[in-house]
Amino acid sequence: MTLSFFDQFAIPNLLGIPLIIPALFFSPTIWFSTNRLIQNRYSTIQSSLIINATKQMMLPISIAGHKWASTFMALLLMLTLLNTLGLLPYTFTPTTQLSMNMALAIPTWLMTVLIGLRNQPTASLGHLLPEGTPTLLIPMLVMIETASLLIRPIALGVRLTANLTAGHLLIQLTSTAVLALMNSMTLTASITLILLILLTCLEMAVALIQAYVFVLLLTLYLQENI
Amino acid sequence: MLSRLAVRALAPAGGLKSLAPALPVGAVQIFRPLHTSQQHLAPVPPLPETGGKVRHGIFPEEIFQFLYPKTGVTGPYMLGTGLLLYMLSKELYVVNHETIAGGVMVGIIIYIIKKYGPDVAAIADKLNEDAIAQATAVKNDMIAEHTTAIEEEKKEQWRVEGRHYLFDTKRNNVAIMLETNYRERLFTVYTEVKKRLDYHVAIQHLRRNMEQNHMINWVEQNVRQSITAQQEKESIAKCILDLKALSKSAQATV
Repeated sequence: MTLSFFDQFAIPNLLGIPLIIPALFFSPTIWFSTNRLIQNRYSTIQSSLIINATKQMMLPISIAGHKWASTFMALLLMLTLLNTLGLLPYTFTPTTQLSMNMALAIPTWLMTVLIGLRNQPTASLGHLLPEGTPTLLIPMLVMIETASLLIRPIALGVRLTANLTAGHLLIQLTSTAVLALMNSMTLTASITLILLILLTCLEMAVALIQAYVFVLLLTLYLQENI
Repeated sequence: MLSRLAVRALAPAGGLKSLAPALPVGAVQIFRPLHTSQQHLAPVPPLPETGGKVRHGIFPEEIFQFLYPKTGVTGPYMLGTGLLLYMLSKELYVVNHETIAGGVMVGIIIYIIKKYGPDVAAIADKLNEDAIAQATAVKNDMIAEHTTAIEEEKKEQWRVEGRHYLFDTKRNNVAIMLETNYRERLFTVYTEVKKRLDYHVAIQHLRRNMEQNHMINWVEQNVRQSITAQQEKESIAKCILDLKALSKSAQATV
């Protein structure tokens, strides 16, 4: 079975049934929940991670925004798990699909904007003009800020997609190079192998960071508007 | 309802006994029979102390134990190697770029786990111990509080026994005050009566003195009036004779 570079981005099929839904929902099965006070080591670490992440991300937001905490933390958890589990070989990463990331980004961004327009329309429209701008620049700056506002969901979705897709592709390409050079130019292959090791470490970091950045930006958009 | 109670009373004998591990301590699973009794929320059965035993990080120890009687110590290893070589040689598993990528990824994961695993385990243990210590501290504080409360209560009970001293003292106090007040009033009465009597005595004395003086004056007055001129001359001549006689006697003595 020859594997092309883009087979990893195709949604897996079983007898013609697309397996996107199990692919989305099976990754969080490694995250357990329990109501015991003293848990085993795995659950203790996972509880302390989610508690610290919640504190760190939700503290800068005002009290009114804290009711978004469970949404954001669930989003963070899902993105982290999907990204990191996609680094294993032969796994499908749902977050490489632009459709999925846009489906995550557009509704959440739209929610923040609509909350701002509903609760404090003046303040949220006021964000379109930074303080201290010279009077002559105001019209142009309003247009620029509006464009920047409207491009946010696209940026959110495409950032996640592009980072992960590019990372996965780079890994595939570098490992193909290692495989191709292994027999003929072994020294070059080993240098490429070192490159592959560094790249893999980078990809692990990127997987975590991209999930964090996605949710962080959403908290920032929320903080502006709540 | 009674049948429910009966089943609940029987359940601890049936349910928990079957929860006791048939395998030695450190077994992976506790085999809980399904739907043998009504669900109990408490007491929650305890978690095993350690997780399941694994060899080389991922292979459960049970496989090795299962294969040991028939194939000895090297059995599972032979099985693994054979399977791997079979898959590779028959190209059931094709070596491609994913193999290398996966190999590198797995190698990095193993390295991280070997390097930072014990530290993470220590952190997890410390978190659990802190939670237990906090709960124990709360329990101990409550116990100490209640012990102090018991001692305080005993002290109060001891104090109650000595209450009669207080009451006696107060009673004596009141009696003394009453006595003092009575004596003071008695004394006041005495002084008042004495004042009245002294007044009457003083009036009597005064009357008597005045009568006496009056009488003396009256007598003197009458006597002076009764002394005639004749008597006066005679008395004066007698006085002169007396004086002469006296002077003679006086001259005689000198």
